Amino acid sequence: MDRAGLKEQFERILAEHGPALSRLAASYTNTRSDRDDLLQETAFAIWQALPKFRGECSQRTFIFRIAHNRAIAYLSRHREQRTDPLEEVEVRDPGTGPDAHYSQNQRAANLQRAVRGLPLPYRQVIQLTLEGLGYREIAAVLGISEGNVGARLTRARQLLQDAMEKQI
Amino acid sequence: MSRDFDLEALREDWQAEDSIPPRLRRDVERQSRSMKISLAGDILVTVAIGGGMTARALLSSEKGGGWLALGAWIFIAAAWAFVLIVNRELWAPSAMDAAAFVDLSIRRCEASLGATWFAATLFVAEAIFVLSWVYVHADLHESVGKWLWFSSVRIDIVWTATLAFVAGLFWFRNKKKRELARLLDLRKRMEEADEPADPSAKGTNADRV
Repeated sequence: MDRAGLKEQFERILAEHGPALSRLAASYTNTRSDRDDLLQETAFAIWQALPKFRGECSQRTFIFRIAHNRAIAYLSRHREQRTDPLEEVEVRDPGTGPDAHYSQNQRAANLQRAVRGLPLPYRQVIQLTLEGLGYREIAAVLGISEGNVGARLTRARQLLQDAMEKQI
Repeated sequence: MSRDFDLEALREDWQAEDSIPPRLRRDVERQSRSMKISLAGDILVTVAIGGGMTARALLSSEKGGGWLALGAWIFIAAAWAFVLIVNRELWAPSAMDAAAFVDLSIRRCEASLGATWFAATLFVAEAIFVLSWVYVHADLHESVGKWLWFSSVRIDIVWTATLAFVAGLFWFRNKKKRELARLLDLRKRMEEADEPADPSAKGTNADRV
């Protein structure tokens, strides 16, 4: 594929998966600027890897695999910026949203925060589930068996429920 | 498992996290449409005024018509330079998230406020240029002051247009100032909501990688 074709494909990927990649980046970072840094790194990695994509898996699997690899690399480099443990997850006051829309999105913000507090193996599985990926795709992204995905997801839901109940 | 913890419900919440507030999206889209209409208007004015003045200078034997056309093109060039500089990077948000949309709206507001000063300056300059040209070439025998003091229907129109323009400019500036204040407040509150809840807790998490 020529450079123009690659560029077009890259832009299509970002338009289609941009919000999901942004949410994924937000789950590994504490601030908007960190999220943007990680998002930029991920986009760059996708751009570099795109010419090698031969369609062995779905494009979504390919994109999320790269995004997760970049996120883990990012975490390794920013160990001091780990997210709070579950017990310390702090809830934003539902009344402090800057606009009515943000108040409505409070549940989403709390969920994001709770997911961020999960241990990595569970965080990865729940994120991909919430993005709408099935067991097979999650297994392909993370390089684990489908059975393992199911087991992790069960545990992740329990942990997430505990975390969100603590927020109430 | 309760309905509250249903994965489908969680998925909806999760995917709503980065969505752009509908009002903000509508505002930005409306502004983009206005910018396109304004650009089309600028092109129309360029063709009508610039072309009209040039044609008039070429086709009529009116004395000083060339200078009038030249002046018109200088004003048009200045207006285009301003529009192109000010509108740079104002056509689309840098990202598809609420922060980028707010940031774009703020920059558009600031550009609009800057444009009101430019428009006022350009209006005054054009009025002085055109009135001077008319005065010089109309072979009038009265003083400038007397001529400008509602001496004819044409002068009445100039003053009425000036008053309407100034009133419109004040109304527009006040509207944009209020909009800018609201957007700056929104951005501030978004940034506050985005700050880590407890910076002192950094690094306390066990290695979970």
